[in-house]
Amino acid sequence: MEQLVVSPSPHLHARANTASIMRDVLIALSPAVVVSLVFYGWSELLLLGVCVLSCLLTEALIEKYLMKAPVTIADGSAAVTAVLLALNLPAGCPWWVAVIGSVFAIGVVKMTFGGLGQNIFNPAIAARVFLLVSFPSQMTAWARPASIASAWSLSPVDAVSGATPLGVVSEGLRAGLPLDQIFAENGFSYAQMLLVNLGGSAGELSAVALLAGFVYLLARKVIKPTTTLSIWLTILGVSGIFYLYNPSAYTDPVFNLLTGGVLLGSIFMATDYVTSPMSRTGCIIFGFGIGLQTMLIRYFGAYPEGMSFAILLMNAFVPLINRYCHQPKYGRA
Amino acid sequence: MDNKFTFRIGGVHPADRKLSRDCAIEVLPLPEKVSVSMAQHLGAPAKPVVAPGDRVKTGQVIAEPAGFVSAFVHSPVTGTVTAVASKADLAGKMVMHIDIDVEKDEWAEGIDLTPELVTPLPDDKQLILDRIKAAGVVGLGGATFPTHIKLCPPPGKTAEYLIINGAECEPYLTSDYRMMLERPREILIGAALMQKVLGGPKCIAAVEDNKPEAVESLKDALHFLQLFSKDYENIEIRVLKKKYPQGGEKQLIDAVTGRQVKSMGLPIDAGAVVQNVATSFAVYEAVQKKKPLLTNVLSVTGDCLPPERQHNYLFRIGIPLRYIAQVAGGVPEEAVKIVSGGPMMGKAIANLDATTVKGSSSLLYLSAKQTLRREEGPCIRCGKCAQACPMGLEPFLLKKLAEVGDQQALEQNAVQDCLECGCCQYTCPAYLPLLDTIRIAKADVLNLIKSRPKN
Amino acid sequence: MTSILWTIVLVTVLGAVLAMVLYLVASKFKVEEDPRIDEVEKVMPGANCGGCGFAGCRAFAQSCVEKGNLDDNFCPVGGNDVMKKVAAILGLEASVKAPMVAVVRCNGSCEARPKTTVYDGKQSCRVKAALYAGDTACSYGCLGCGDCVDACVFGALSMDPVTGLPVVSESKCTACGACAKACPKGVIELRAKGPRSMRVFVSCINKDKGAVARKACKNACIGCGKCAKVCTHEAITLENNVAYIDFNKCKLCKKCVAECPTGAIHAVHFPEPKPTPAPAVAPEPQKSQQDGQ
Repeated sequence: MEQLVVSPSPHLHARANTASIMRDVLIALSPAVVVSLVFYGWSELLLLGVCVLSCLLTEALIEKYLMKAPVTIADGSAAVTAVLLALNLPAGCPWWVAVIGSVFAIGVVKMTFGGLGQNIFNPAIAARVFLLVSFPSQMTAWARPASIASAWSLSPVDAVSGATPLGVVSEGLRAGLPLDQIFAENGFSYAQMLLVNLGGSAGELSAVALLAGFVYLLARKVIKPTTTLSIWLTILGVSGIFYLYNPSAYTDPVFNLLTGGVLLGSIFMATDYVTSPMSRTGCIIFGFGIGLQTMLIRYFGAYPEGMSFAILLMNAFVPLINRYCHQPKYGRA
Repeated sequence: MDNKFTFRIGGVHPADRKLSRDCAIEVLPLPEKVSVSMAQHLGAPAKPVVAPGDRVKTGQVIAEPAGFVSAFVHSPVTGTVTAVASKADLAGKMVMHIDIDVEKDEWAEGIDLTPELVTPLPDDKQLILDRIKAAGVVGLGGATFPTHIKLCPPPGKTAEYLIINGAECEPYLTSDYRMMLERPREILIGAALMQKVLGGPKCIAAVEDNKPEAVESLKDALHFLQLFSKDYENIEIRVLKKKYPQGGEKQLIDAVTGRQVKSMGLPIDAGAVVQNVATSFAVYEAVQKKKPLLTNVLSVTGDCLPPERQHNYLFRIGIPLRYIAQVAGGVPEEAVKIVSGGPMMGKAIANLDATTVKGSSSLLYLSAKQTLRREEGPCIRCGKCAQACPMGLEPFLLKKLAEVGDQQALEQNAVQDCLECGCCQYTCPAYLPLLDTIRIAKADVLNLIKSRPKN
Repeated sequence: MTSILWTIVLVTVLGAVLAMVLYLVASKFKVEEDPRIDEVEKVMPGANCGGCGFAGCRAFAQSCVEKGNLDDNFCPVGGNDVMKKVAAILGLEASVKAPMVAVVRCNGSCEARPKTTVYDGKQSCRVKAALYAGDTACSYGCLGCGDCVDACVFGALSMDPVTGLPVVSESKCTACGACAKACPKGVIELRAKGPRSMRVFVSCINKDKGAVARKACKNACIGCGKCAKVCTHEAITLENNVAYIDFNKCKLCKKCVAECPTGAIHAVHFPEPKPTPAPAVAPEPQKSQQDGQ
């Protein structure tokens, strides 16, 4: 020990680092992953495996051969993207769609900008939107196994194809049916939306599982609740106004909060460090923009769901928001 | 005490690790030689007034202030001056030192060495100030700014608050805590003296809530003193919610008064004067006992030390750090770094042959696992640094601007306000050397600001 | 058919209108500039290194034209050749300067100058210098983090992994002085390149007393003064325990080199007979302590 180590202060470091944060995000995602595996069975396991494998491989190959830089897949960020992407795909979607999505997410959205921390758009969300516009039929074929047992049976399963609640509502309204009739015919209930909401992307299955992840992230101080709450409040507010205006033409606030990608997006994708604003005010504006656009697309757009488009669009505004929104400085009020 | 206050912007919560909190203060035995630095305070180094061969007594002046911001230095021992020469300080930088061979411990005349508590305060403000100045009292909270200057607000400014800083927000350090436990009455008398000099502002002694014993001790002492005299009526003990860097002047003022010091301003601009508890004790000794500032308390601590080897020492200035380490049982095997001061803002010791100064507060042993820098990753734009910054700055941005050398943008983004508290670097998940970079940029921008003609 | 016609007409009209606007704006806001500035800029090296003291080559050219003399303007990168061309364009007299080169004035290699502490901060000489005296017992010498290498826009500097010291590539060095400015210890000096690049210099700036310096580094100048005594051209001065060779007075006789007990005096690029050490190029001015703090 005769040679002392000398360095500038501080001499200690907090326990959290990039890898541990990514690990926390994966842990927070695990309830949603487990639920989707239970209900969708082998097909979901296959998608998850394909996504993880192709994301990690893409990142490693690009870093090794194109960037000639150290391979950084151990930091866990590619794994987070992979799991998020898998949760954003419909359970029955073909494996090659997942591969294309993964290569796009990592190769185009993340690595072309310089890798972790440099990308403008959230890779998983960008890939979801990319797949949605490129392979609309595969991306909206919402398979739903007849039962949990059939999801896990080894023989070919006759999956029932169905639509998401948002899709059903959108179709119904277009057909001129009043909302309460649509709800009654399809047996929608809040309890069902909260617990197991079959149809839709794998990760949108259970609101409870996603909320559990949210609580974990907050408890571990990985994220602040600002962005998420801002999105929720905006969605509740905007849909509340429309609902009050005409309850038979516009879906109600709670329905809008619990269906589609709102929870998955607001908890896990809009809070992505890299592609969300730094300051509190920025996060509020960011969340408001996402919520507003989601509702506008849902009510007036061609697509039944708008969460991913909204996040993607607001990602593009983040540099601008960061430019103008700063936190208060001490002694400069 | 449900409504505990703390500062409003940023801050981090490093683990407390006050391992030496239950170790009573021990008097460190004198070594054979001491070497007294002339740069023990902020400002111009003191000018030696002794020469090799001179005999000096404990408490005798051996160096005089060399400018407005400077302070007296006194001999910590009785003996013979052997050299007045440049020596390396703990950072290896050359500083003028006076070497003295220790013979005995005979104090200069006029110094009250009795243990009795002197409670009546002198009436003459100037007398109090003169004694503080003559005793070479400097701020012992870290900055070592000469205390008598801080107690003379510039014309047009008045102090409305005197804040006695017992936050000791740095992990590991326990010297202030022990002082509050063992010398609470003296600390409060010192506070009352400073209150008197400042014209009777509200005095608040602020302690973090991780030190309930210190709060009790100060409260008891306050009750005791209030029985004697009205001088202690206007003193309050305030408990603050623990958060680093609460002990920073600007943060403490925010926490206690709700006011903020404007950028590039001094605490007095917000009507506040902040003094550390150890300084308060030194003021007591200087005024009531006419005893110069020769001693301070230092913790020898760290996770590498077993509980029985943790210490709080009352040391004299000028004692070699190596000697203290030896008295305390040697440097532990695991320690790779020894820090003087807290782990967040303290200085890593490069030279163990350097000696203690007035502001020394610890020998903190850190192991490789605790302290070695880890491999840097890319910034993930998490914004944790900005959330942690107690000044509301954006360290990630400042680092980028510093790397391209854009001084104008650095100034606009207030790099000059940086406290160098280390919260940003402490919290960065990518292990980026944020403060290393910002510190240099801050120095550049401050130079730029200074070089501008004033209008 | 009509739509194509319309398109063509519309685009043509639009183009014409915009061209008019551009023309008007250009003539209205035209900045009158001395055309010679462009001419001068053309003969400049175009590195925009700032070695001349101006913000870039154009700023230098502007200054040359506006001042009307070239007394204080010199492009270290282009050297006398470029200055001659500039002088010809402007019809002025150019000052002739001896070509210079950056010289590293520290030869405290890892072997000669053992480490006393382990530095564990950001790899930057400035950060290190602001923190403490350095990780060796010599508080004057090279800190080895390579700020000079980063500062060089010509790629003329590199760190020697064996010695831990920077090496100047003389063919690439343009004597712009960026490295000397970047070094917080003032280890790098610009010295006259010398005939056929032959130079003699003291490769040390340690101002400590001989014994202290020697203890810190085997290759240190210990300020013994033997070189100054043996020099017949009064080129060597001894100040603050360190010798300095004035390159304007040095006649390259190399007597001092043989005399130096620590080998701190380096002679480079001399023909065979006496092979010399140190590939590094280093000069030695008196007060090179341009402390960056």
